Amino acid sequence: MTTYNIDSKGTACPGPITDLIRAYRKASNGDIIILQATDPGVIPDSKAWCGMTKNELVGTKENKGEYEVTIKVTAKK
Amino acid sequence: MIKIAMIGGGAGGLITSSKLSAELSEEIKQEKVSITIFDKRETQEFQPGYLEAAFRGTKPEKLKRPVDRLISKGIKVVHANCESLDLDNHQIITEKNQEKYDFDYVIVSTGCSPDYSQIPGLKEANMDFYTDADVSSRIFSSLQTIKSGRIVVGIAGLPYKCPPSPNEAAFMVDEYLRRHDLRTSVDVTFITPYTRLYTAEPINEVIEPLYSERNIDSRTVFNTDYVDPAKKEIISLEGDSVKYDYLFLTPPHKPADFLKGTDFADDEGWVKVDKRDLHITDHDYAFAIGDTNNIPTSKAGVEAHLEGIVVANNLTMNVTGEGAKHFFTGRTQCSMETGFHHATFVVGTYDRPVERIKPSVTNYAEKKVMEEIYWASLHGHYEWLFKYHFKKDYFAESPS
Repeated sequence: MTTYNIDSKGTACPGPITDLIRAYRKASNGDIIILQATDPGVIPDSKAWCGMTKNELVGTKENKGEYEVTIKVTAKK
Repeated sequence: MIKIAMIGGGAGGLITSSKLSAELSEEIKQEKVSITIFDKRETQEFQPGYLEAAFRGTKPEKLKRPVDRLISKGIKVVHANCESLDLDNHQIITEKNQEKYDFDYVIVSTGCSPDYSQIPGLKEANMDFYTDADVSSRIFSSLQTIKSGRIVVGIAGLPYKCPPSPNEAAFMVDEYLRRHDLRTSVDVTFITPYTRLYTAEPINEVIEPLYSERNIDSRTVFNTDYVDPAKKEIISLEGDSVKYDYLFLTPPHKPADFLKGTDFADDEGWVKVDKRDLHITDHDYAFAIGDTNNIPTSKAGVEAHLEGIVVANNLTMNVTGEGAKHFFTGRTQCSMETGFHHATFVVGTYDRPVERIKPSVTNYAEKKVMEEIYWASLHGHYEWLFKYHFKKDYFAESPS
């Protein structure tokens, strides 16, 4: 199992979801992606992305304007 | 003599070097400073015009200019690409005869290009509007033969340059088909790995209704894994598939080959820089601008322009000891044509989210004005217009 720590704090358009998608491409089922961002949209966007791709949203955190999303890759064929 | 090396003679390299040559004209005359561009290309192309070549039939020759006509006064050119860049020893080795050039300051502006190796089967099946003007025009040749079937456009992988361009392709191909009374017999499908048609929600809000109105089918969260040219299918990482008859997808892009494996680039070869002053991490005499760096914003011409202005100002300050340091604001200004003489813009900065701008004829006119002044802007002309347009986003006076 590999953990991908993605620091997407301070990103402008196209935003942290781009970094998530790029990490996902490299990952395998069972790997963990931890995405950090300062864009509050990262939480609803990540939830939507997990729901639509059928990857597992493990959890989200927020601390003083910094957000962390943990995703487990499960949907790759 | 202080030697400034500019690796890459595209838009970013030309704008930055023209600004430097203007600000340091006296020093160049007195041979206290030299500026040298390293790029093997003899012509430069207007990349935003590739969509016009692909979907409107603009002749490729209209998008090209000889590089020698675009170089500002006092700038030397070495018509060779960089083979390796040794930042610690301040040296460039070129592909041509392994010639070595020393520098005091270096700016990397080598752009990015399609990387078909990431998606098996894509190169055989696809026609793109990113490689160059001639390749883009092949799409138009293909379009002229299409009478029925399914055209698939969209994003095959990340990152790529000009974020709105896949959406523009959808709108422009729809417009072409409608103008030629083919829209009811040719389907258009747009695929994207994002959860929305455009990743920034404010822009998605204004274009999503257009997709519905114009019957452009879409598949979101489609992560292209490979293409099967025999079956004419695109397969996703999750095992889903989309059938096509004609494929005009946006491929993932890569940086210049010589950057991969260096200690100043990430594992994919994108140069690591400070997102505000663009200096290459740990090297305050080295900078990287435009598509080649890893800053968290769009890969597009306007960003290269604004980054180049910041770097030129700061490098001039280093040489002369005068002036104040400038910082890049992260400003994006990507135009998205939505068909039928309408366009919107993706506008935001590091500190401001993307704005909701409805497509309009006025925006389309603004986009056309920018196209008209492009070649002159490479010499630094019309910079007053950019300053007026971008206002406080043109540069920042502090990093935060």
